[in-house]
Amino acid sequence: MKNDLRARREQEDESQADLAAAVDVTRQSINAIERGRYDPSLELAFKLARHYDCAIEDIFEPTLGD
Amino acid sequence: MTETSHPVQHRIARRRRHKRLMFGCLIVGIAGLTIGTYVDQYLLGVLIYWSGFFGMLGVWQFSPVTLYDERDTAIERKASDYTLGVFAFILVLGAPGGITLEASGVLALPEAFDGAMWTLVAVFTVFGVIYTVLRFRA
Repeated sequence: MKNDLRARREQEDESQADLAAAVDVTRQSINAIERGRYDPSLELAFKLARHYDCAIEDIFEPTLGD
Repeated sequence: MTETSHPVQHRIARRRRHKRLMFGCLIVGIAGLTIGTYVDQYLLGVLIYWSGFFGMLGVWQFSPVTLYDERDTAIERKASDYTLGVFAFILVLGAPGGITLEASGVLALPEAFDGAMWTLVAVFTVFGVIYTVLRFRA
């Protein structure tokens, strides 16, 4: 699954630690999501979408084979 | 430094502190057991070990800070999956292979082999029971 989390975070001038604290996960998890190495749960995806005031599909985009 | 940095840094430092406390409890417990065994104070050693273990569980379960998140859980789940896969492979090939080799007189396997195979049977029996219960509840 592709995502534009890093771009959104940088646009908001947030660090990975800031975002991690806002959605109550570790900084390593945010890093893994940004690198596409971990697909978040639906619950975390909703938290991220709520944090950036957008829909989940605005952040995440399924790639072929997902 | 951003406005959010202070609470974030505080939260990270708190998480680190709680994790250190958690592992500290376990290390004290293991050290207590090791030293207790070494100086023939077995009961004291075991009591310190249990205290350390339950201390670790207490910090883990009741910490107000999120020590582990869903990615940690996903990694643990994957690691458990691979571990069970390795043991399943050993059991499926090892048990009949060992019985056949022993019955045909090719090899005399030590008693530890039987013990290991029965232990694996027990592990997969427990896994099967838990899996069945979870499947019915899902």
